Amino acid sequence: MGQLEKTYQQIVRLDNSRKCTYSSPAILIVTLLYLICVLSVPIYQPHKLIWLAAYPIVASEMEGIGYGRIFLRSLWILPLVLFIGIFNPFIETEIAFRIGNVAISRGWLSFTSILFRGLLSFQAVLILVGKTGFIDIFNSLRKIGCPAVLTTQLLLTYRYISVIIDQAMIMKRAREARGYGRKSYPLKMWGQFIGQLLVLSMQRATWIHRAMDARGFDGTLPIGNAVKWTKSSRLWLIVWCVIIICLRFIDFSTLIKHLLL
Amino acid sequence: MHMADALVSPAVAGVAGAAAAVLIGVASHKVKSIKREDIVPLMGVMGAFIFAAQMINFSIPGTGSSGHIIGGILLASLMGPWAAFITLSSVLIIQCLIFADGGLMALGCNIINMAAMSCLVAYPLIYRPIAGISTSKWRLSLAAVTACVFGLELGALAVTAETELSGVTALPTSSFLALMTSIHLAIGLCEGIATALVICFVVSYKKDMLFSQQKNVSVPVSSGKLSKKTKTVLWSFAAVALVLAIGFTWIASENPDGLEWSIAKITGATELGVASIPSTAFIPDYDSTFAGIVGGVIVMVMLWCICALLFRRKKKIA
Repeated sequence: MGQLEKTYQQIVRLDNSRKCTYSSPAILIVTLLYLICVLSVPIYQPHKLIWLAAYPIVASEMEGIGYGRIFLRSLWILPLVLFIGIFNPFIETEIAFRIGNVAISRGWLSFTSILFRGLLSFQAVLILVGKTGFIDIFNSLRKIGCPAVLTTQLLLTYRYISVIIDQAMIMKRAREARGYGRKSYPLKMWGQFIGQLLVLSMQRATWIHRAMDARGFDGTLPIGNAVKWTKSSRLWLIVWCVIIICLRFIDFSTLIKHLLL
Repeated sequence: MHMADALVSPAVAGVAGAAAAVLIGVASHKVKSIKREDIVPLMGVMGAFIFAAQMINFSIPGTGSSGHIIGGILLASLMGPWAAFITLSSVLIIQCLIFADGGLMALGCNIINMAAMSCLVAYPLIYRPIAGISTSKWRLSLAAVTACVFGLELGALAVTAETELSGVTALPTSSFLALMTSIHLAIGLCEGIATALVICFVVSYKKDMLFSQQKNVSVPVSSGKLSKKTKTVLWSFAAVALVLAIGFTWIASENPDGLEWSIAKITGATELGVASIPSTAFIPDYDSTFAGIVGGVIVMVMLWCICALLFRRKKKIA
């Protein structure tokens, strides 16, 4: 259950460290455009994807996250991507090109493409996650007409994650103190543990409801100030949209070929 | 079952996103009509509970591995399908935006595959007809296990359809489907047993916590014997599960190496290597593809070095 403590620390660290240089909607729009561009590259043209790496590299360095950290964290996605793409080289054996005596099949091209798509899209989401305030995203969602039930639900869940995880950690410590070094949870004991956590969570929901009722809760939670669009955010949005579209539609590989040959 | 962005095309992601948005809109409308005052804080806290519960693993006897709950059927049995759908969707959104777990473009797919399939399909079609308003632990357990397996299998089916429609994998649909459904059959059984244990605990502690035991809730099936229709659904589902289990057990015993079996079945060859690739001359695309990859990597490394020097130096000066 080390994951529980790790997640708790991660949430606390994220809450304390997030400093948004640009407005969240700007980062969200750029990320969505970037993902559309990455995913729309044909599967047998991995060379076109390489150029799109410019966004995570430059944006992460500009925001002070560091591309090294982003790259290392993005490797986490590899097992899933490998699971989906590993069959392609064995199925698509038609040769695409040769490097000396080594034949490269179309399957290897599509596999490389899936690998790049996985890494680049995950890196873009990591930058969004690292630089965007969650409350700002709620504001944006509310502003674009997202149902109040969902935004209130998101906000409440986000606020109570750390509380419930804290509760689970207290229960875990109590269980460990009586467990004589036994770490794993047999299924029956796990059922009782989760059941108790569930009952405590529901009791907590009742207390919260009473407190909210006493303060005139009308079904929706007020969410801070409206999202501010600064000049720098607008500029950042326009510049990156132009760059990303250029990277997607200009064939830099052919340009390089013409320059070199 | 979280899908990554790499597995979906923009068209599939767009359609799934639109479908998920419509379902969230309908669910929000339905939740407003629930006559339960504490539904809003309950949904919020239960979302946080599911988040925490997913991090506590149980050991699976005899396998050496561990599993955790996903929570769709558990939530639906406590709060009803629509509130459960909103709650599970919000958990998926937070997982995506805070922990980058599951892709942003694939968020709609993940909501459909995990939240909609379990809360809006498996719960009303399987759990509710079997469980009815009964508080019998055996009946609730049977309902939970069956609904969890059904929900996960539907999710696996949806993942296969979305990946195939996106044109990402070269695996034939039938092989990919067989792979996904067999894996999720086992996961579904574990999830079902775990859900049943928690529901049994809740029933023994406080029966009225269950959605079916609350006032103003109408459950269509009586608490008596299972209806003929329910029995037919159950038997058909059991037959499909049996066929799948026997089929995959036979395959596993004949071919110990799953990957080798898959490759042999798909390509018609037992071994693959350079010899199986026919030799042809250089094709015109060689230069731009290869030069593009090599040149691109070199340029990106240079770009990284320049950015690191430029922005880190700027920060030091500041």
